[in-house]
Amino acid sequence: MNRRRFLQLAGGGSVAFAAACSPESPKFLFSPPQATGDQVTGRATWYASTCRECPAGCGLIAKNREGRLIKLEGNPLHPLNRGRLCLRGQAALQALYHPDRLTTPLLKENGHWVPISRDRALSRIAARVQEAARRGEGRVRLLSEVVGESALALQRAVLGGWSSPGPTIFEPYAYETLRAANREVFGVDGLVSYRLDQADCLLGFGAEFLETWLSPVEYAWKFKTMHALRGEGKGRFVWVAPFQSLTGANADRWYGCRPGAESWVALGLLGRLLALGRGGHLPESLRRGIAQAAEAAPFPRVEQVSGIPVAHLEEIARALAAAERPLVLGAGMWQSDENGLRVNLAANLLQRVLDPGLLRIDAVNRHRVEIAAPRAEILSLLEDLAAGRVDVLFLNQVNPLFHLPPSAQAAEALSRPDTLVVALGGFLDETAAAADLVFPLAHALESWDDYNGWTPVPSCLQPAAGRFSTAPGAGEFWLAIAFPEGEKPAPDYRSFIARRLFERGLLKTASDWPRMLQQGGLFPPPGELTGAPPADPPDRLPELLRRPPPLPPEGILLAPVPSIRFFDGRGANRPWLCEIPDPLTRIAWQTPVCLHPETARAHGVETGDLLRLSGPGGGIEAPAYATETVVPGLLVHAVGQGHRAYGRYAEDRGANPLRLLSPRLEPFGGGQAGVLCRVEIHPAGGRILLARTDGSRIQHGRKLVRTVSPAELRRGLKPRKAGLTLNDFPLTLPLPEGYDPKRDFYPPHDHTEIRWGMVVDLDRCIGCAACVAACYAENNIAVVGETAVARGREMAWLEIVRYHDESRPERVYFLPMLCQHCDNAPCESVCPVYAPHHSAEGLNNQIYNRCIGTRFCSQNCPYKVRRFNWFDWSWPDPLPLQLNPDVTVRSKGVMEKCSFCIQRIKEARTKARNQKRPLREGEAIPACVQTCPTEALVFGNLMDPDSRVRRLCDDPRAYQVLGYLNTKPAVIYLKKVLEEA
Amino acid sequence: MASRANRIAFRTTAAILVSLGALLYFFYLWPRPEGPEQPIPFSHHVHSGIKQIQCQYCHPYVADSNFPGMPPVEKCLHCHNYIIVNHPWIRKEHEYAQQGVSTPWVKVNVIAEHVFFNHQRHVNREVACEECHGEVKELQRLPQKLWRMGECITCHRNRNAQLDCWLSCHN
Repeated sequence: MNRRRFLQLAGGGSVAFAAACSPESPKFLFSPPQATGDQVTGRATWYASTCRECPAGCGLIAKNREGRLIKLEGNPLHPLNRGRLCLRGQAALQALYHPDRLTTPLLKENGHWVPISRDRALSRIAARVQEAARRGEGRVRLLSEVVGESALALQRAVLGGWSSPGPTIFEPYAYETLRAANREVFGVDGLVSYRLDQADCLLGFGAEFLETWLSPVEYAWKFKTMHALRGEGKGRFVWVAPFQSLTGANADRWYGCRPGAESWVALGLLGRLLALGRGGHLPESLRRGIAQAAEAAPFPRVEQVSGIPVAHLEEIARALAAAERPLVLGAGMWQSDENGLRVNLAANLLQRVLDPGLLRIDAVNRHRVEIAAPRAEILSLLEDLAAGRVDVLFLNQVNPLFHLPPSAQAAEALSRPDTLVVALGGFLDETAAAADLVFPLAHALESWDDYNGWTPVPSCLQPAAGRFSTAPGAGEFWLAIAFPEGEKPAPDYRSFIARRLFERGLLKTASDWPRMLQQGGLFPPPGELTGAPPADPPDRLPELLRRPPPLPPEGILLAPVPSIRFFDGRGANRPWLCEIPDPLTRIAWQTPVCLHPETARAHGVETGDLLRLSGPGGGIEAPAYATETVVPGLLVHAVGQGHRAYGRYAEDRGANPLRLLSPRLEPFGGGQAGVLCRVEIHPAGGRILLARTDGSRIQHGRKLVRTVSPAELRRGLKPRKAGLTLNDFPLTLPLPEGYDPKRDFYPPHDHTEIRWGMVVDLDRCIGCAACVAACYAENNIAVVGETAVARGREMAWLEIVRYHDESRPERVYFLPMLCQHCDNAPCESVCPVYAPHHSAEGLNNQIYNRCIGTRFCSQNCPYKVRRFNWFDWSWPDPLPLQLNPDVTVRSKGVMEKCSFCIQRIKEARTKARNQKRPLREGEAIPACVQTCPTEALVFGNLMDPDSRVRRLCDDPRAYQVLGYLNTKPAVIYLKKVLEEA
Repeated sequence: MASRANRIAFRTTAAILVSLGALLYFFYLWPRPEGPEQPIPFSHHVHSGIKQIQCQYCHPYVADSNFPGMPPVEKCLHCHNYIIVNHPWIRKEHEYAQQGVSTPWVKVNVIAEHVFFNHQRHVNREVACEECHGEVKELQRLPQKLWRMGECITCHRNRNAQLDCWLSCHN
């Protein structure tokens, strides 16, 4: 009896048992009444739109299958993000199909929500608004998220019709200090963009441009343009800040500075660079002003205040002075206090000193978030509310109750009985819960709109999905509520946008509009995007710098920083963003407070201990996480969790550090002051089981991540004598030529045309986890929740493993780890039922219906990339609408793992075969490779000697992780290039 | 006595044999219904057999998609706006069109959920519809069919087609 026969007979019993049961309930094939012009059953239709998950406004294309959106990808034509999306952009789908999304308007009656019809809600609001407009001026107010030009014009027109001022644009991180610094130093009242890609030396004082700052995808590709290895050299990135964010972790050198002392360092550098003879081109008045201001901060004094030794400060100054095209970026987006303002002023001045023509500053392509109102205006609106000067308040997709400190009394202001508070938006968050009426709007992916992430570059939004509900988009809502029939400025919002674009001269001919919808916007041809440096920078020193900087606050300080996963908290209800661990702590579902091990010891706490923190505005509890990426004396807590409402995934999970603040204003920029707030730490007693996804913080000498210095590369890496150990095992490609009868037990595989492989350039990977989110979206990967992750049952097929250096623990490495599709796969040889199967194109197939769940394969996999379904994971309705219909939803008892996106390979292959031609390079691209903002991942055919992957295998940096096990992995890593490797 | 005991044994055996025979008859030989009842009794025999309408007229995507596609109701009405307009079932078809409701056809060709069959590659390799689906033009109502891997494998072996798991059907 052979194996196959045995299995057939053994299976026979269960088949007989199953056949005796009644068959499944009938399934239906629905034939629609009308044919859809642009849809083919089984084939995706792509619609161009714009991502509205943060104010950056990246272009995207949305994949529609039979009316449902199943995947988002960056729009390759959009000049901002060039076809890439970050993890939050990928997760926008989970807001669209969120189980807690509202569909009907809710009216609060006696503290309870009562569903009412849309018409009733509209007429109720309209009546109150008309009454308010009759009562006098400014009695209807709107607090809105950042919107595009057309939406802003409509909002202004609508509010004007009600004799009220225009909308107040609320953005929790409104870049008050950066705008003030741009105004004072560049003469630009707005948020300029930076030509990071053209720099050769980058100095950052906290601007987290790879995660959240201004436009992260744009700056990620620009950063890697300047920082990737070119020939034998690469740009240099220096980070001066009290902690490493993900951005800081990507710096070549981190100079840990005392929190609040960055402004001293920046000022000291200004003085030193002038002394080194730079800045001769500056107007005399400015140069003298800078020199005088810098007298307060000579290097020895800076060392005293900041803790950075003079020698290191000299190093930074010399690096900047020696650079040909230096660029200095200012403070983090959360730093709206005086220190942040001074850092931004000094950083801009440094740029003026170092860059005579301000060539790396683009004052034309500015960031849209510049329209956000400073915090001072938000607080004054709250004052108006509290004083009863407002009758109707609209809240357009904002959540001030989460973002403002409780002592700002926002909740009290919203709860006045004589004010009608209407919350627009899809979720019952803290603010909506405090409103009188909640009016659901269509999601951005279901609505018409326009947006301009860079001010002069309009991109469009169009309904890309079948409607989830009949809720109108924001534009439709304003048209319906503000204008009686016959007086509307346009019959519908779509024509309103088109008309506005024609009026502004952006659309010229009738065919421009459909072309805009097709391409996703009006983009200049590549290479023709023009920008310009600031035209007329002022020639005097900003007033503020005439006074010496204040000393940094004493004691234990807490920094509430934005989070790469949740941004300012708006992402906290997306299950993928909760499940994907933070890149630096590798903790999912929870937000710990990060502190230096020394600080932890001083307070007698360990990682996992629950801490009670009390600050000027209140107290929170959070688990401790000891890490060397924070300077001693500082606590870093990411903002995002700690919601008291906002649905099942966000509610009562974690803590909100913004509650520690008191609502003081920084007078000059008008932002929140005291963000770096003094806190007291008390162990709260008890520990939390952290949902950690890192097995270990270090590599235990196994050289999984390898580094090389530019000097070594210049010298040429000496070919070692090939041996059989970790250090001298040769790179063995998973190809027939990699077969060695002396080493190999099994015969070689015969791949004829294609052997898929991937190259991961560790020097380009920034650890941003965009690939991980793309993988979750593409492959129907289950979200298992906090408890299961804590037990090590997360299902991610691709993870960004983080290791701390063993000798210098403050240095962090990222290693994208996925199935290596080994030629000599250890999983294949131990499976009793032959479920992992080596394919004709070299892929390691996992056949789900064969798998019986012995987990031998996972035990034998040295890379630990196989994931076992301990349960039948569920997707609460309507989240299953997002599931990819081309990928099996795996069930309990089955092993799964990365497939190199076989469904995408098959799609490309089918297309090529239908056209009777071979598959072309770059046609089959897995989701992770598609979205990687820095092009760290390359995928292709290793059999083709001209393919990119094959050529990269000859790179002197190429190596295989655990290659000495002779697994012959098809994922080839390129060593990270470090100045001091 | 002995003959009586024999009779009981004989009768018991006969009863068992008869009921076994009946069981086998009902299991294997009892005429099965043709297939599930559909919302509209569409006849493949009339359309495909007598009228000789090509399969791809109603299932148009079969050469460019993994799925052949079901005809929208408006396509039925291309003809049935003129042909037997007042037939009660055609009236029902008109109702579906007027009310904008999708027609819930009961699926008859069933494959396991973890299997992804690719129609376009088969049709473009000149596998005729009948080779797998049989002579539907002879049938009024299509019988339900649960497709089994053995059928695929046999054909793929005979034609020397690829037998890769993922590249074929499983992913």
